[in-house]
Formats: sequence, structure tokens, C-alpha cells
Amino acid sequence: MEKRTSHPDQMYIEGLANNNSAIIQSIYKKFVPKVVAYIRNNSGDEDQAQDVVQEIMILLFNQAKAGTLNLTCPFDAYFFLLCKRKWLNELKKTSNKGVTINEDLASMSESTQEMILQTEAFDEKQQLFDTMFQKLGDKCKEVLQWSFTLKTMEEVAEKLQVTYGYVRKKKSLCVGQLTQWIQEAQIYKSLKK
Amino acid sequence: MNEENYILFDLYLQNEMSVEEKNAFESQLAQDDSLASAFETFKEMQLQLTNKFGITEEREAFKANLKTISEAHFKSSKPKVIQLKPWYYAVAASVAVLIGVFFVNQNSNPRFEDFNQPEQAYFTERGTTEAALKQAEIAFNDKQYKQAISLFETILKENKTAEIQYFYGISLLQENQFQKSETVFNELKSGTSVYKNKAIWQLALSKLKQKDYKATKEILLTIPADYENTEQVQKLLSELD
Repeated sequence: MEKRTSHPDQMYIEGLANNNSAIIQSIYKKFVPKVVAYIRNNSGDEDQAQDVVQEIMILLFNQAKAGTLNLTCPFDAYFFLLCKRKWLNELKKTSNKGVTINEDLASMSESTQEMILQTEAFDEKQQLFDTMFQKLGDKCKEVLQWSFTLKTMEEVAEKLQVTYGYVRKKKSLCVGQLTQWIQEAQIYKSLKK
Repeated sequence: MNEENYILFDLYLQNEMSVEEKNAFESQLAQDDSLASAFETFKEMQLQLTNKFGITEEREAFKANLKTISEAHFKSSKPKVIQLKPWYYAVAASVAVLIGVFFVNQNSNPRFEDFNQPEQAYFTERGTTEAALKQAEIAFNDKQYKQAISLFETILKENKTAEIQYFYGISLLQENQFQKSETVFNELKSGTSVYKNKAIWQLALSKLKQKDYKATKEILLTIPADYENTEQVQKLLSELD
């Protein structure tokens, strides 16, 4: 990730990453009412708005924690448009009506547009990864979970009561299985385009 | 891609290859595009796994806190549409009387009763109706604190949330169980939930109720400026002086 100067609103991103209640509350106070109003005016209710907002906040938390969220545009537009596009996607899923989502991309500033596409790409990758992870067998899931939770592979072997050699090999092959599936999915996606 | 390659990827990333093996692997990567692309994806999978499992606890804490803040935000935004009802005037009148009382009492020490305004509890979330939670909510809002305390204790055994702890602490304080209530509030104070600042305020009220004015003041001074009810804090501080 290239290093660029962050927008002052990066404080909201840091606040989310640090689970800072005061900042989270201020996001609700300053930016959420606009999202709620939009969703209510577009065939949604307050409960649905609440869900969309929470999903976006969790997405931002994940991206910030992964160290790839460097805000270069105002938080206001960025957050509102992420929520709006998420909601339009939900509508698209439940109704057969075609909803055009890209219309507003053209009207936003270049940096906002880039930020939104980055975050949505992060979301998409993470969701694809989660889907593939769920497809793994239980043994693979278990080995991977502990391999990325505990500090050393020796601890993992001890925890699962198997040999060190076994967990090492199993871990490589399970990550390999994920690698293969993701590559296949990417090829499929590029063919579809 | 065969299995041997994935084992090689892992050895390379763990830095467990000899210099020769490493060189051989790197030159192979440079020549073989499909191997290089598999290696990139393999690294990305490692990163995804680190994100998924490396911060599980932090993520859960964030989600729980987010949920509490969200519930509080959406709850408080609802009553705003209610029209001004006649009893609001009664409330306004009694507030005016209270202010009068404050002026009369200006030279005496502040009293716990003047600042004790437990908020209403609304635990029942949409979609779920847990009997114990509902009972506790009713008992608390009816000021049946003894009953509320025992209900909260049962609930906390199964599901310890900052919200329940907070209302449990308030109930204990109302029943003059200072030590127990201060333990609860101190725990909230050292946490990161939205009840953190509110808990500090309640700690100050607990000292006030015990007429320990010095401790009350010391605690009040530790309440951060972003506390939603700073007016009350300032008011109590000025009355303590």
C-alpha cells in the first residue's frame, strides 16, 4: 500500500480500530442520521438502516485492523456512500428490479471514488475468502484456526495432540487448498466479465 | 498446483530453507508465472487467516460495544417524534420548583436525592423476548430494586454485558449496598463500553450518598469531558465548593 497523507478524518478510522466509544458515538451522532433518512426514503425502515450501518462499521474495523485503510477523503461522503451502496445492493438482492449503483460514482470526487472502490474490493475479497474457508473440512479449519491464533506450531501440535510434522504439513496443504479455490474463483470471475 | 509446492511456499515464508534451496526457489518463481501467481495468492491467504483469527477477541469486543452504542442511539432517536403531552408541562413545572429548591438550599451540602435520576431500562431487543430480562426491566423501572438485584444476578451468570452490569450497579446503589455497587462500577470504569463514563458518575453519586464529599469531588474530576451529562457534573461540582 502506497503511503499518502491521510485526511484529518482518519481519526474516525483510528477510533473504530481502537474501539473508542466516544468516537463511535460521535459517528452515530454526526453521520448516521443521514443514512437512516436515506434508507427510510428508499423502501427501508429504521431497523434495516441500523443493520446496514453496523455492517459497514464492522467492515471499516476489519479493513483498519488489516492496516489497509488510509482515508484520503472526508469521512462523511465516504461513509454515507458505502452505506447507500450497501443498501441498494440489498434491494437488488431481494427485488428483481434492476438498481443502478454506479450512477453516483461519476459524481463523486476522485479520491472518494477510489476509497470506496478499495473498501468494497476489501469486502468482496474477505467474503470470498470466508466462503472458501467454510468449504474446508473440519480438520483443516481446526488446524488453521490454531495455527493463526497460537504463537508457534509446536503449541498447535500440543493443543491438537498430534506431531509437529503433521501440523506443519497439514497447515501448508490447507492454505494450499484455499489458494487453489481462490485462484479458480478468480479465473471464473474474469471469464464472466 | 501440486502439494509439494504449497509445502515449499510455507518453508520459504517461515524462512526454513537453506541458502541453496532459497536461491533455487526464487529463480523458479522468476521463471514460472503460474507458480508466482499461486505464491502471491498463498501469501494473501496467510494474511486473510491472520486477520480472521489474529484479532478474534478484539473484534468480538468491538461488535459488542458497537451493538450497545447502536441500540442506545436508535432508542433515543425514537421518542423525539412524540408530541408534547400535557404532563410535560407538569414535569417542566416541577423542574422549576426543583431549581427553586436548589437556590434555597445553596449553602447546604448537595444531597444524593437531588442528583439520583436512574434512567429507564429497555433491555428487550427486537426479535427476542427473554422472560428474565423483561422481568428485570419491569422491576427496575418500577423501582423494585431488591427484586431487580436478584434478577440481574441470575442474568449476569449467563450473559455478562456492560448494560446489565450498569443497571445492576444502580440497583445496588439504590439499596445502599455501596461496596458491591462500587465493585461493579469500578469494573465498568476500567472497561471500554459506553457505560464507562456513566459508571464513574455513579461512583461519584455513591460517595455522595455516603456523604463523603471529598471523594465525590475527586471522582467527579476524573470524568472525561466527552461524558454526555457534563452539566450535572458541573452542577454537583459547584455545589460541593
